[in-house]
Amino acid sequence: MASDAFDPNRMHESALAHVSGRAEYIDDRPFLKNELFVGLVTSPHAHARIGGINTAAALKVPGVVCVLTARDLHQNHWGSIFSEQPFIADAEVRYAGEVVAVIGARTKSALSAAQKALRVSYVPLPAILSIDAAIAAQSFIGPGRSIQRGQSQGALQAAPHRLTGQLIIRGAEHFYLENQAAIAYPREDGQLEVHASTQHPTETQHLVAEALGLKQSDVVCICKRLGGGFGGKETQAAPFAVYAAAVARASGCPARLVLSKDEDMIITGKRNPFQIRYQAGFDKDGRMLALEAELFSDGGAYADLSTAIMERALLHCDNAYFIPHVTVKGQVCRTHFHPHTAFRGFGGPKGVALIESIMEEIAAALDLDALDVRRINCYSAGERAITPYGQTVDNNMLPRLFEQLEASADYRQRRHALALWNQDLNRHPRGMALTAIKFGISFTTRFLNQGNALLNIQRDGSVQVSTGAVEMGQGVHTRIAALVADSLGLPFESIRVMSTSTEKNANTSPTAASTGTDINGAAAIAACDRIKARLSSLFYQLLRRPPEHWAQKTAGLGTQPEIEVEEGGGGDKGLCIFSGGLVYPPDRRDQALPFTTLVAEAYFNRISLCDYGFTKFRHLGFNKLTGQGRAFLYYTQGVACSEVEIDRFTGAVKVLRTDILMDVGRPINAALDKGQIAGAFVQGLGWVTSEALYYDDGGRLRSHAPSTYKIPSVHDMPRQFTIELLENPDNLANIRGTKAVGEPPLMLSFSVWNALRDAIRSRRRAEGRRQEACDLPIPATAEVLLRLLKPELFASWETASHQERDTR
Amino acid sequence: MGQLRKAATVVINDVRHEIAGDEAFMMLADYLRYSCGLVGTKIVCAEGDCGACTVLRASVKGLGSEDYEVINSCIVMMAQLDGCSIITVEGLAPRGQFSPVQEAVARCHGSQCGYCTPGFVMAITACVQRSGPGLDAQSVKNYLTGNLCRCTGYAPLVEAALQVNREKQEILKTSLETRRVLKAVSKVSLVIDTEKGRFFAPATLAEAAAIKRRYPEARLISAATDLGVEMNKGKAVPNCFLSLHLIPELYRVRVTQGQVSCGARVTLAQLRRACETALPEWARNLNIFASPQIKNMATLVGNIANGSPIGDSLPFLLVSEASVIVLRGRSTREIELSALYRGYRQLSLKPDEIITTVKFKRLEARDHLRLYKVSQRRDLDIATVNAAFAFRFKATGASARVIAEARIAYGGVGPLAIRCQAAEAYLRGQSLSSEVCAKAQELIQCAIAPLSDLRGSAAYRRVLVAQLFERYCSELDGSSEFQPGAIRAASGEDSHGERCL
Repeated sequence: MASDAFDPNRMHESALAHVSGRAEYIDDRPFLKNELFVGLVTSPHAHARIGGINTAAALKVPGVVCVLTARDLHQNHWGSIFSEQPFIADAEVRYAGEVVAVIGARTKSALSAAQKALRVSYVPLPAILSIDAAIAAQSFIGPGRSIQRGQSQGALQAAPHRLTGQLIIRGAEHFYLENQAAIAYPREDGQLEVHASTQHPTETQHLVAEALGLKQSDVVCICKRLGGGFGGKETQAAPFAVYAAAVARASGCPARLVLSKDEDMIITGKRNPFQIRYQAGFDKDGRMLALEAELFSDGGAYADLSTAIMERALLHCDNAYFIPHVTVKGQVCRTHFHPHTAFRGFGGPKGVALIESIMEEIAAALDLDALDVRRINCYSAGERAITPYGQTVDNNMLPRLFEQLEASADYRQRRHALALWNQDLNRHPRGMALTAIKFGISFTTRFLNQGNALLNIQRDGSVQVSTGAVEMGQGVHTRIAALVADSLGLPFESIRVMSTSTEKNANTSPTAASTGTDINGAAAIAACDRIKARLSSLFYQLLRRPPEHWAQKTAGLGTQPEIEVEEGGGGDKGLCIFSGGLVYPPDRRDQALPFTTLVAEAYFNRISLCDYGFTKFRHLGFNKLTGQGRAFLYYTQGVACSEVEIDRFTGAVKVLRTDILMDVGRPINAALDKGQIAGAFVQGLGWVTSEALYYDDGGRLRSHAPSTYKIPSVHDMPRQFTIELLENPDNLANIRGTKAVGEPPLMLSFSVWNALRDAIRSRRRAEGRRQEACDLPIPATAEVLLRLLKPELFASWETASHQERDTR
Repeated sequence: MGQLRKAATVVINDVRHEIAGDEAFMMLADYLRYSCGLVGTKIVCAEGDCGACTVLRASVKGLGSEDYEVINSCIVMMAQLDGCSIITVEGLAPRGQFSPVQEAVARCHGSQCGYCTPGFVMAITACVQRSGPGLDAQSVKNYLTGNLCRCTGYAPLVEAALQVNREKQEILKTSLETRRVLKAVSKVSLVIDTEKGRFFAPATLAEAAAIKRRYPEARLISAATDLGVEMNKGKAVPNCFLSLHLIPELYRVRVTQGQVSCGARVTLAQLRRACETALPEWARNLNIFASPQIKNMATLVGNIANGSPIGDSLPFLLVSEASVIVLRGRSTREIELSALYRGYRQLSLKPDEIITTVKFKRLEARDHLRLYKVSQRRDLDIATVNAAFAFRFKATGASARVIAEARIAYGGVGPLAIRCQAAEAYLRGQSLSSEVCAKAQELIQCAIAPLSDLRGSAAYRRVLVAQLFERYCSELDGSSEFQPGAIRAASGEDSHGERCL
């Protein structure tokens, strides 16, 4: 039965709250009378020994309630993979921006006075401020990892063509609009209620408990919604909740910590910078024969998620392409920068950038069209559909995606037109690239792929559902509501997805890895199924009784025997159909009862209208040590074609046109999916073009606000921008045949990055220059591009001084 | 001084607020959120660079715009808004109802995480209000450059602006009563004196001069869009302000045949409207000068007095031979712009002097004025390098290509924005050939001393300086008769930013 649940134009469940300004975020919560402001004091040094902290002057500031340092915490280490990072630096600071003290004060002005009054003495130590320096010092985090298939070395040597190169990929700031924030409310008997802007309420709850020496049962973490996360609040939200909680605990007052954008950017980690050395072997048609690559990432000062991020990078070095012989190795480096962390794509972009770049370089080396090189290497069937880690690319849409977009984007004809355009040196060079993404969906750490849901049917037939999923704009609550509405046959409006809270859903995983809907939606459906089974059993038993004997009429009298239902079954007749607000047996719509009638009957017959669902992704079997096995439940796939123009005078970039075609299976909400695609693409576009993190020689981030860190603005989106979804009803691996969409499209921004490379190549060709390899870094800023276009102009000025001045 | 007020009057969502005491020095966004509980207005960057705090402001006749315009509420002090009416997102529709703009943004999927959304709703409201039914995507984008969104990629927000049901969208206007109240208060000088600081807003220029004499430490502010940022970030804590916002004659801009003169309170937005036809190149350049929110607050005089070597107006003003009129007590003097700066952000003004007016030459079509700005991101960004060129050629016959007068100015290439006099002198009387250009380039490079910073290396700046000159020459070259129209025609669809050839 058709339901309105999957209306492709349905708006975000909070859209009207958003536009009216009534959607509540952490700092929108009303202040309580005795509430304290929490502020941080951070290290100005990338690496130093703490000589001492003198809190006396800060404590003397009127209005200051407490100044907390490392020794005030019950347990002062945390980390999702390696528990090695202090919440508050103790003897040593290991990055500029590391927290050394936490202050609670009654007013903002008292807080800032205390921040200035706090005296910390440092003895600076030598700092490691680059991947190269870390490699030289053998300063690493975790063991190296690798994925291997075949004999890459031999195959490389035997290959008719080879290319080697190095890829520099720099970090990026999440730039969620809502800065990190948390409020902790002391509750009776030592309990704490923490409201945090976090993608991982469970870990936040656990870390607050550990840091303060509380039982996990004495801490509740609640999250209504996030003003953006993008991975930046997966692990790194928790310390801020800990700081607020520590002040609340020390003072007995509610405590609010809301970072400024500057503080947030200075303290929290970014996307890991990577340095990749590679060697690729291929035949005369551009067919890949072998790949060897060594990936080094900058993990920053602490492990955070960097080893898992590296793992996903290695798992995506193939992307959409079959490579018979592969050796990819990865090592996380320990430096003295903020601990880098999850960011949309989670390492995947590094692997994908590598191979998409190699495709362009192969094409250039052989004078082929890069699209032809991609298509010849694209995963197909049989042996050529098996990844280097041994998982088969099921539901492989890649050949179809390439074929359809080539046609719909008018690729060949435009390629021809571009060649003509670029012959004229008085024009701005233009380029085009069509790139792909095949992104594995699942946490590569198996145990994270579990979730639970609580479903409460209220007596008017409206429904509350709670899961571990955190709503951060991606629309996970809208999708879960749609799945529940469809399952129960109710109007979408009957379903309310509640705040995420650890007292309703415990032991949940972070809302990350694009899996929010897959895991939590499936758990919600599992809960629906259990209730539907009971209601179906009830339905068949009601049919056997005259309506005047139904409980709604007689329950209070106790004249009729109570209906008992068996757990877990509608009896031998199976589940009823739940549709259009009615419940009926398959093929007997004439017997339908309103859902609300059944709900009332269930209540009076003491049949539970609430339930709990649990889910886990089955069949996952990736062995991290051997680098082999099924890492993912399925793959989300897509392709994009972008055309760009580089200003020949300044290097400024204009994206003229982008066409995207994505396979997201059967969408639950096509409009939200397209929104995710457009947003992820533009976010990636910023990373590959304009977003430059600028650190000074002391390892201090200098671009820590939108005045200096430039995310795309409205004029930077592609001038012409189309997004289409591929029809694909055949993804059997996931709930409803849908596919996750949050991260994959970010990597389609490599179509822009490679189009820039193509434009530079075209210009060099038109100028009759030698076609050497073009290892374009990320981001390819205007300065980078102009250097590549006009190397001779830069040559004479390269000795210029490197003095600095804030030129604002 | 005659009558005095001791509290600023600000109307917020039709409710009158009397602001005395320390609240006068609060930023509007903080006041809304923490004093009024109007938390729909968000604070993200506290530096006017993201637009999440966007609200609408209208002033009274003669003292700024009577129409509601967007401003950044995070960098404007309450006292500065004396005499203004503010509408926040909560004021757009009664509780439970939605304005057509709000409906369109929701329906077009213009919100994801929702945090930037109220700011966009306000900006789109102003955009729709300020435009006719022929509104196109490009104009919408021009209006939304002051608002950042990290979730949507912007397309749905642009679409929403185009989809607004204009028949249902009411034009926001201040009520008669509000106008009456604001008009009455704005005739009377304001002095706020608290422990935290002093704020003077005299109603006449004479009073202003007297106050500045008495309190030379008083920080003269117009929009304080830069000072507001420094205050938010704890870098500056001035405690004595002098605002000229009640003085009607400072809101005047006069465009005559040969000259433009512009009072100290004239905003960049007002100036842009005044110069749209008189100085199209300058008007076009103002499109990539800050955001609508900033341009509705910030003044040209503020940009000059701020003294930053990368102030976007400076190269233009330098080639336009600008000067400022300065008032001290009852006497005035005129200072050429090039003599105004003594060093990096240092002005040759006496502590008790007030800039009341800036005057600049209105260059003609035959001066071939071109203004360029290069920044990491084109919109709402601080320039890496900016430049102004204006070459006039000898008019007759065969000597059509001989330069009669060359004006060249750059910003972002040293502690001061500069005119390149040596190159200008060399070019005078030359005809434009590649050898001549090369020699001029050499002289320009000798005149500059750029630094490396987060906006670009010194080498990049030097290359840009050369490249912009190159671009100018190639644009001149591209138009055989040196008609600006010819160059424009070749530039294609892009009316917004830098022209493409």
